[in-house]
Amino acid sequence: MCEVACSAGHFGAVSPALARIRVAKMDETGIDLAIACFSCKEKPCLECPTEALSVGDRGEIVLDSDYCDACGLCAEACPVGAVGFYEEPLFCDLCDGDPNCVKVCPSEALTYETGKEVSLAPFLEVGGTPSQRRVHFAGVMAEPLRKGWAEGRRVDS
Amino acid sequence: MSIYQGSSLRVDLSTQEISRGSTPENGIGGRTWNSVTLLRELDAGIDPLGPENLLCISVGPLTGTEFAATCRIIASAKSPLTGILGDSGARGFFGPEMRWAGVDQIVFSGASEEWKYLYIDNDQIELRDASHLVGLDITDATVQLIDELGDPDLQVAAIGPAGENMVKYAIISCNLARACGRTGMGAVMGSKKLKAIVVRGTKPTRPADPDRFQKACSDLIANIEAHRQFRSRQLYGTTRIMDALADYGVLPAYHYRSAVFEDLEKVSSDALRRDHVVKGKACYNCNVYCSRYNYTSYSEGEGPEYEAQAAFTVKVGGSDLELAVHVSNMVNRLGLDCISTGEVIAWLMECRHEGIISDDDCDGIDLSWGSKEALLKLPELIAHRQGIGDLLSEGTKRAAEKFGTEAKKLTAEVKGLELFSADPRGIKGYGLMNAVNSRGGDHYRGEPMIELTGDEELAMRRVGNPQAAHRLSEEGKGALVNYAEHMGLLSDSMTICKNISCCMDVVDFDLAADAYSGFLGKEISKDDLWLACSHVSQVERDFNLREGLKREDDTLPDRFVNHPIPDGPAEGTTINIHKLVDDYYEVKGWE
Repeated sequence: MCEVACSAGHFGAVSPALARIRVAKMDETGIDLAIACFSCKEKPCLECPTEALSVGDRGEIVLDSDYCDACGLCAEACPVGAVGFYEEPLFCDLCDGDPNCVKVCPSEALTYETGKEVSLAPFLEVGGTPSQRRVHFAGVMAEPLRKGWAEGRRVDS
Repeated sequence: MSIYQGSSLRVDLSTQEISRGSTPENGIGGRTWNSVTLLRELDAGIDPLGPENLLCISVGPLTGTEFAATCRIIASAKSPLTGILGDSGARGFFGPEMRWAGVDQIVFSGASEEWKYLYIDNDQIELRDASHLVGLDITDATVQLIDELGDPDLQVAAIGPAGENMVKYAIISCNLARACGRTGMGAVMGSKKLKAIVVRGTKPTRPADPDRFQKACSDLIANIEAHRQFRSRQLYGTTRIMDALADYGVLPAYHYRSAVFEDLEKVSSDALRRDHVVKGKACYNCNVYCSRYNYTSYSEGEGPEYEAQAAFTVKVGGSDLELAVHVSNMVNRLGLDCISTGEVIAWLMECRHEGIISDDDCDGIDLSWGSKEALLKLPELIAHRQGIGDLLSEGTKRAAEKFGTEAKKLTAEVKGLELFSADPRGIKGYGLMNAVNSRGGDHYRGEPMIELTGDEELAMRRVGNPQAAHRLSEEGKGALVNYAEHMGLLSDSMTICKNISCCMDVVDFDLAADAYSGFLGKEISKDDLWLACSHVSQVERDFNLREGLKREDDTLPDRFVNHPIPDGPAEGTTINIHKLVDDYYEVKGWE
């Protein structure tokens, strides 16, 4: 629902390819993780050859389309695959501080938090495509959850 | 240019040729397209597992849009299990991906010499070698394809060993455990030597009248959130029904020999959630996220839904819930329909209980009620057609012929399709639905759920008869089943989840018409939709009559008609199926 709300909210059309939040789904381990820009400490996406990217007031990455030549390096640079690309890079703009994805999430898995610095340093060297990096990140983040399952933790415990 | 903006693919497995045409214009989408295609293009009497059968897989015009829970694919073909129309829908994420690839329908014809899979990446569409996937179960084949293609975002619909071996109730599964489960569509796919369909699409869906469409989407979400079952469906999914069916006295314990199951607490929805559920799971764009991920000491996987949970506990007379969850995981991986598989095993156990067969007739497998050995071994044998599994893979109707008249009397199937895990004697509308619907013994064709509510006002509004709201009443059930059948057809055509549209009753023809009109930018009234469903209901009837179906086939097994429920809250109840069918025929205007 977060992908749909993001895509529909920004484009009036629906496809996860248009969304700035993407769900990494691993059906064989039961893991789903929605991933959007964390406004991470490292911000490797900012290494933009045409200097089309800057950081906005809320920490969001701002794209100046006039300067962007759609090379896609920013999407390739994100260690967790959180930068979309559909004709041009797609950065989460936080919906002016009231993100659509958070509003529609039925399981309240998404929150909008400010003032929290996230480091993605352990993931900077992860290779592969953006979607492979999303899955890698989700797999690492889910390790404690899966360990809990193996130890007998259940959804209500 | 079609108003649906997509296309229909024709894939001839014999010649390996793929052609692309416009989306069918006749009918709403999904099942309506498929049924019309099958009536028009198949000859009567063909071998369902021969190259002349067609396997149609469709989405609808609202699949992959903002309209919630509209995510299914519908697979249709002449059924190898029943010999009449076969079709079944799967939820998950495959349908939307297919829509985003610009493909609304795929029609497979012929049969390949070598195993293949169909690869679709937007406009790149090709048949590829699948020889390395042969023998893999659905999970392993899906993971292998995702790994070797290097794209975790692609969607896979695959068959398992059961489909490869043309078990007559083999499934096609998306997202590992979201199955086109009923009527053996996986066997038809296997007969064509098609192991999987892989799809990746990025073309957005865009409504023609955004304001009208958006309002319909918001209305649906509001209807769902306001529904009294919203939270319990989030927590329990369909497993929530087990306690209610026990209260109604319609549990099929020991293969319908009792409506009272002494170990209900051990196998209940609460026990399942407490001991085995680790996480909720959703289909595309659905706020109910009613599916659940399980983790047991044997295995892990998605599910079970009520049908697998009940079939592998109550129906087979077993109280080991963890074993049942594992068997559900196992049949999903093997690619077997859990309803038919559970019914086959439960029927065998009853035959053994009655002394009609012995363990020696079944490879020496212990067939006592709830036997762990039977539950672990039989699905494997069936999927691989080994030993007794070869006979059982034909379904109970054919298998019973080998074991004689007494065994046949104990079967619970209609037109060859095995029945669900509830007792039709105590829920008359469901009984009638099982007797008359166009794919044989099945409750999910359209859910006459109103009869479980006691809501006379709703029954009045939907079918003009307040008595239809009562499960033991025989009044108004023809009209109720006709309405439920239309609602099921509408849902299968718009590809919305029937748990939402039919069971929760939060979509009606008005809302569907608004959504269609808003999305397509073309005025479609609720009457248009109703008539389209009526037309396809007749198309399906014509298909089945052409295959030799007779009025006397529209009935239920003798055990439900002439033998009362022996115990529990509905004790003494039989079902007067002849009266109910007469009522239904009158509503339909059939001779």
